[in-house]
Amino acid sequence: MTKPSIPVGLLSSKSGPYQAMGREILKSALMAIDEVNDSPDFDFSFTAHVRDPGGVISEYHTACDDLIRNVGVDHIVGCYTSASRKQVLPIVERTERLLWYPARYEGFECSDNVMYVGASPNHNVVPLVRYVLDNLSRQIFCVGSNYVWTWETNRVTRELVTAADGRIVAERLLELGEGRVAHIVDEIVRRKPPIVFNTLVGSSSYDFIRAFQAGTAAAGLGIPMLSCSLCEPELKIVGPASAGCITSSAYFESIDLPENRAFVARWKARYGDDSSPSVDGQSAYVAVFLLARAVQRAGTSQVNEVRRAAAFYRYDSPQGPVWIDGDNNHCVLTPRLAVSNAQGQFDIFWEADAPVKPDPYLSQLDVAVRPSQDGRVPNAPHLRIVK
Amino acid sequence: MSKPSSFSLRGRKALAAIKDERDASIVRRQFDRLGIELSAWTPGAPAGAADVVLIDDDFLPLATADARIPEGGAVIVLLGTETPSRLKLVLDLDPASFLIKPLRSAGIYAALVMAFERLERNNDIKHQLAKMDARLRARRVVLTAVLQVMQTHGLAEPAAFALIRRTAMEQRKTIEQVAAELVAQGQLPRAAG
Repeated sequence: MTKPSIPVGLLSSKSGPYQAMGREILKSALMAIDEVNDSPDFDFSFTAHVRDPGGVISEYHTACDDLIRNVGVDHIVGCYTSASRKQVLPIVERTERLLWYPARYEGFECSDNVMYVGASPNHNVVPLVRYVLDNLSRQIFCVGSNYVWTWETNRVTRELVTAADGRIVAERLLELGEGRVAHIVDEIVRRKPPIVFNTLVGSSSYDFIRAFQAGTAAAGLGIPMLSCSLCEPELKIVGPASAGCITSSAYFESIDLPENRAFVARWKARYGDDSSPSVDGQSAYVAVFLLARAVQRAGTSQVNEVRRAAAFYRYDSPQGPVWIDGDNNHCVLTPRLAVSNAQGQFDIFWEADAPVKPDPYLSQLDVAVRPSQDGRVPNAPHLRIVK
Repeated sequence: MSKPSSFSLRGRKALAAIKDERDASIVRRQFDRLGIELSAWTPGAPAGAADVVLIDDDFLPLATADARIPEGGAVIVLLGTETPSRLKLVLDLDPASFLIKPLRSAGIYAALVMAFERLERNNDIKHQLAKMDARLRARRVVLTAVLQVMQTHGLAEPAAFALIRRTAMEQRKTIEQVAAELVAQGQLPRAAG
């Protein structure tokens, strides 16, 4: 007997300035939809309706409108940048649909019509900066792309560092897509900061990491670099220079869980041995499964019912147990820290021993908490060293 | 001249720096209906006088000196995100009101009325503060004048002050004005005429 089909919109840019991540999200969502359709656990199937806004902000509005009005979808998985999500937000709110948003973002938003599956700032920035203050240095040199994610990440970093009597040595911003990075690397070599925090995105970041490694190596400096966004496909793009970056993320390909080993094996069987899943891609995969399980539980794709069924419903995903916090529609995730290695992978050295409640407005963050002496991270009480 | 009502917007001049064409067209349509004369403006470009300036937060930060916003008008910020880092940049503009992007026609009129009212009240407060400030500065002169009257007329301080106040009332001047004239002339000013 054929299962009834539920249309799902996939809104992701295969072209334009962040096409690499757009393609990762699409690949993972399509893989998840195929798995849902093949699984006996679900008595329905999903039909994917893919729309490519090409990285053009206003096209997100048009594509979302088309998916809702002409295709009749209740659920859309997609958007990568905050700017694109903000375009879609009024339509899904007005028409009472659900956007399943896979990317980590800067927080300070909470809509009843968005399921925020990626990391909140308390999942990535806070544990990373706490770890650095506790174990490496209280002086940080910030370099990032000149837009809201960097501004907000730097603001949180500054609050934490200042509260620990530390100092932001400098804050250097480059326009999105800017590839001229030599002057910043020169400044770093001259000033020798103990830590560099890189919040550049896309090609600017790749250019910077290569120039930074070459410049500091030539000067005989070993300055650790921090990131909240670097992922496996990007390590491959950057090449050997990407090794040694301390990165905060809820997902790494190297997570040693049976669910992840099976996920990676299926991923490589589908997309090739040389390919790697990424945090945002894996998050799109998780989003589709959270949606599928909620639809199954609700017995309908109707938005109110699905939202209710999704809340607090645990799913053992590739990254470990996750669930939607019904209080704020953001995902409960496990923060992890890792160092990138020469093989284009991350060696995880630290993770929370329990999933952490999302705090999109950082309302629970007490910046005055000083770093402890025993290597534990304050404000993330369940963190433990895994290696 | 009577002040324009904050509720009547016809004839006001507006400048708008808006990135998104859909947002810009919603503002144009709504301003047409309200009778507001709208000019597009890019931060950094020269701008004429305006009663209200709409600034898209995508133009922030307005770092360079020549990218300052035109002075005198009420500022309405078009907000895309509510992150504290972005709000800090917005607050630097001392906005009188704000709108959330993507824009809708609803809300624009309310934002304008609030902006004009806020600007009006701020201007009143600034004017009053300037007046109080001037009076505070003039207190030293009043004190000098009281001492002078005490010496020349052999009066105690309350009586000396009462004399200055009576002179001011008779001449329809402020106590500060009379005190300044007394200090300048060395004696109480005579009533004109």
